[in-house]
Amino acid sequence: MNYSQRATLGAAFVLLASGAWGAGAPVHYTADAAKSSLEFSFVQAGAQNKGRFTRFPVVFDFSPDALAASTLEVTVEMNSLDTGDQERDDTLRSDELFAVKKFPQARFSATQITKTAAGYEAVGKLTLRGTTRDLRVPFTFRTATEGGAPVGYMSGKATLKRLDYGVGQGDWKATDQVGNEVGVSFALRLTAAH
Amino acid sequence: MTLRNTARRWGAPAQILHWLVVALIILQFTLALIADELHGSPKLAMLARHKSFGITILMLAVLRLAWRCLNPTPELPPTLKPYERTLARLTHGLLYALLFAMPLSGWMMSSARGFPVSWFGFWQLPDLVPKNKPLYEALVTTHGVLASVLVAVVVLHVAAALKHHFVLRDDVLRRMLPTSTSGQGTRQ
Repeated sequence: MNYSQRATLGAAFVLLASGAWGAGAPVHYTADAAKSSLEFSFVQAGAQNKGRFTRFPVVFDFSPDALAASTLEVTVEMNSLDTGDQERDDTLRSDELFAVKKFPQARFSATQITKTAAGYEAVGKLTLRGTTRDLRVPFTFRTATEGGAPVGYMSGKATLKRLDYGVGQGDWKATDQVGNEVGVSFALRLTAAH
Repeated sequence: MTLRNTARRWGAPAQILHWLVVALIILQFTLALIADELHGSPKLAMLARHKSFGITILMLAVLRLAWRCLNPTPELPPTLKPYERTLARLTHGLLYALLFAMPLSGWMMSSARGFPVSWFGFWQLPDLVPKNKPLYEALVTTHGVLASVLVAVVVLHVAAALKHHFVLRDDVLRRMLPTSTSGQGTRQ
């Protein structure tokens, strides 16, 4: 085998590898809604309370080998919030809190994904109640093969301050009863598009 | 004033606990009535205080009951008729029962609603019952009915104390007051 043959074989091998393993180009994932959760936690009257969103389409173009080209986009249907209490949910949907009629969706959009000691971090912008701010979302990611198909598991949590986004007008600006800090945690099952 | 109760007088801890709980019960009714008129965050704030003071009353009720068990109970005047004794015991028993039942039903009500109770933001209490809407609604009714029963029993209790003081002119009321030096020689 001469040099040129060797180089050709080498190049073919790299191409084959990248084609087979997806290296070099991100995999296009979407969330499996039935097996994904997006929850938020907050202090109400001194006690920890929880809620969740049930509709939040996720598009995640990701490969650990192609972080530069990886992106994350989460769209949260605000009307799908559920804290387990109808009255509280209606209050949260009202104009002074999430104002879902005017701002039916929240969106997190990250075009910068970096490797960290614990996993990864998505650096992006969160638009909530019409206000956009930078947000860093640390997460972990692993892949698995289920029924012959590649799937991804992504989970993480972030903390944000609701008043940064204007969630809490009028009396709800007070943080003595409903804390300013809100924890957001997610656990997603992602399926790769074919 | 002595610390321990005697056969004729309530000691200082028993008196302090009694009057402190009186003040807190009045405060509880006030906070509950104000909260009913409010909405949103101020309502949450008022109810959070109501729950915190309610839990305080529950803690004081435990203390009171323990102190009562460890101390002699001042005797009822010998002039009381048997039915009056029974009524007095029944009233006091009911008051003690309500000191527990009111906060416990409120705490259960919060748990059933799915809103955990916090004691002034320092301590989050465990949920007594799982979240359950029909149970919550039943407990709202229970808490309200118990509040009405409490008002009725307190009216009876106060009326009896005033009758002892102004009509029977004995020391039953005074022995729960710090100003009276002792029960001796006050009976007429």
